Amino acid sequence: MADCKDIMVYVETAEGNPVKVALEMLSPAKELADAKGGKVIAVVIGNNIHDAAQKIAQAGADQVLMIDAPEYEKYNMDVYADVLANLMKEISPEVLFIGGTQDGKDLAPILSSKFEAGCASDVMNIKIDDTGKIVFTCPLYGGTILEDIEITSFPKIAVLRSGAFPKLEDSTTGEIIEKQVSISNDCIHANIVETVKEIAESVNLEEAEVIVSGGRGMGNKDDFKMVEDLSNLLGGVVGATRPAIEEGWISKIHQVGQSGKIVAPKLYIACGISGATQHISGIMNSDYIVAINKDEDAPIFEVANVGIVGDVKKVLPIMIEEIKKIKEAQ
Amino acid sequence: MNILVCIKQVPDDSVEVHLNAEGKPDLKNITPVVNAFDTYALEMAARLKESSEGEITVVCMGDASAKNSLKNCLAVGADYAFLINDAAFEDSDTRGITHVLKNAAKKIEADTDKKFDLIFCGKEATDAALGQVGPMLAEELGVGVITNLIDIQLDTDKVTAKQETEEGYRTVESKIPCVVTVSKPEYDPRYPTIKNKMAARKKPIGNITMSDMTNIKAEKVGKENTLVNAIKLYEPPKKEAGVKIQEETDEDSALKAVAMMAEAKVF
Repeated sequence: MADCKDIMVYVETAEGNPVKVALEMLSPAKELADAKGGKVIAVVIGNNIHDAAQKIAQAGADQVLMIDAPEYEKYNMDVYADVLANLMKEISPEVLFIGGTQDGKDLAPILSSKFEAGCASDVMNIKIDDTGKIVFTCPLYGGTILEDIEITSFPKIAVLRSGAFPKLEDSTTGEIIEKQVSISNDCIHANIVETVKEIAESVNLEEAEVIVSGGRGMGNKDDFKMVEDLSNLLGGVVGATRPAIEEGWISKIHQVGQSGKIVAPKLYIACGISGATQHISGIMNSDYIVAINKDEDAPIFEVANVGIVGDVKKVLPIMIEEIKKIKEAQ
Repeated sequence: MNILVCIKQVPDDSVEVHLNAEGKPDLKNITPVVNAFDTYALEMAARLKESSEGEITVVCMGDASAKNSLKNCLAVGADYAFLINDAAFEDSDTRGITHVLKNAAKKIEADTDKKFDLIFCGKEATDAALGQVGPMLAEELGVGVITNLIDIQLDTDKVTAKQETEEGYRTVESKIPCVVTVSKPEYDPRYPTIKNKMAARKKPIGNITMSDMTNIKAEKVGKENTLVNAIKLYEPPKKEAGVKIQEETDEDSALKAVAMMAEAKVF
């Protein structure tokens, strides 16, 4: 079995669409498969998921295994893990990629245990070294240290960080294969009985081109609105640090950083953010960082293209006015 | 209700960790603490115990220095504590750790002739943040797992848990026994009272070694038997710092910054 070179990719869906990281995973999957001479085999599980399967087939997978049945309508960790385990036995991939969503992070260790497969978490980069070994890069200590690891087992499991890999540019047309997987009810230990969305707004930090974030330095909820104003003006998405969220100035879905969203916008404006490691490691892939902070030694300035040492509450209104003028003149 | 809480000692996560001259994480001057999520797990377990009777056992894999962390747990709700310590376990990966924890749990169950109904873990440790041990332990034990808890309720034969999600929460039910992993609930862990601290100091801390566990498989634990190996450690490349603007007034600084942004065509 150990000569199987296929890369299996579990595609999570949300409201009938593949989640963003699922599409992103196809690019390193393709790279590995090409280097090893194997195929990219994507797996989609759900009910009426033909559209999602189609999108994956067009986004770089060689094969899409579609497990489409009413019993998979609702996510159940035990059931989904069992379906994936069954497919892994059948396909015997060298590597299984799982997206680093909340549910993905649960499925990976379960499967890791089932197969005695080594599992890399929060993978930020993947490369193949001179000897053909797959090397995964993962963060330690909130991202101040990075670790390159290898997995010696067969199969290997890797949980890929959302936003760390670019989607494939050239799309192909893979084959969709409908499959029946029978699972036994004995595998079910737990059930989701209710899902409550407390946050109605949809916030897409990961795909935003502009993000304006506020931290503790914004001082209070009223002044935090300036962050939102600037963001609106730039057609951006509002981000926040953990302290701003804990103060209740904005909901936690806006959190940027290691324990929130890892982002990669073209423009990132950090307002009243000193730059804790957890935050900085989440914004490192931004193209252009602007920081406003009163403490000239704040670590955020070490990563900012433009750093403004000053009172954020005085700087922001002027920036907003000035940018408005420039925009109107355009 | 018989509860097991698994804790890990980690370097205080409010301190930034960097590499030392030997290329290893420099932890020398960083205080070891109980992983924050494990303290939330213990607090949730303690509240459950207080509302429904029961006992809490805490286990920690680590060297003798972790005894202090276990003493702290005894002062905030735990009844019994065990250090799982053996040179053979050093540098185990999550498979090894899970294997040891499972066998330690089995040993305690056999010694006390009482099964654990619930096993609590933090949702992840603040050092490596893998979040693997809880679900793996459940799988090894053949029981269910609910992750990222912010609340828990107990019925006769099941638990109902509030699982934190990005957009809100899910209510998840599991049969007992099961493993749960805990996120940050709305409450903070309690501080020990002086009285509890004194009492904790007098309580014994059990020691579990390799030879105490009858079914442990040596080929799954220790540095030689990892499935995941570190190749190298390094610090992420520093992003080059750009311009720092500090004019006479904030207004001037703001104008200068906007001019630079306009020039760079970022909006």
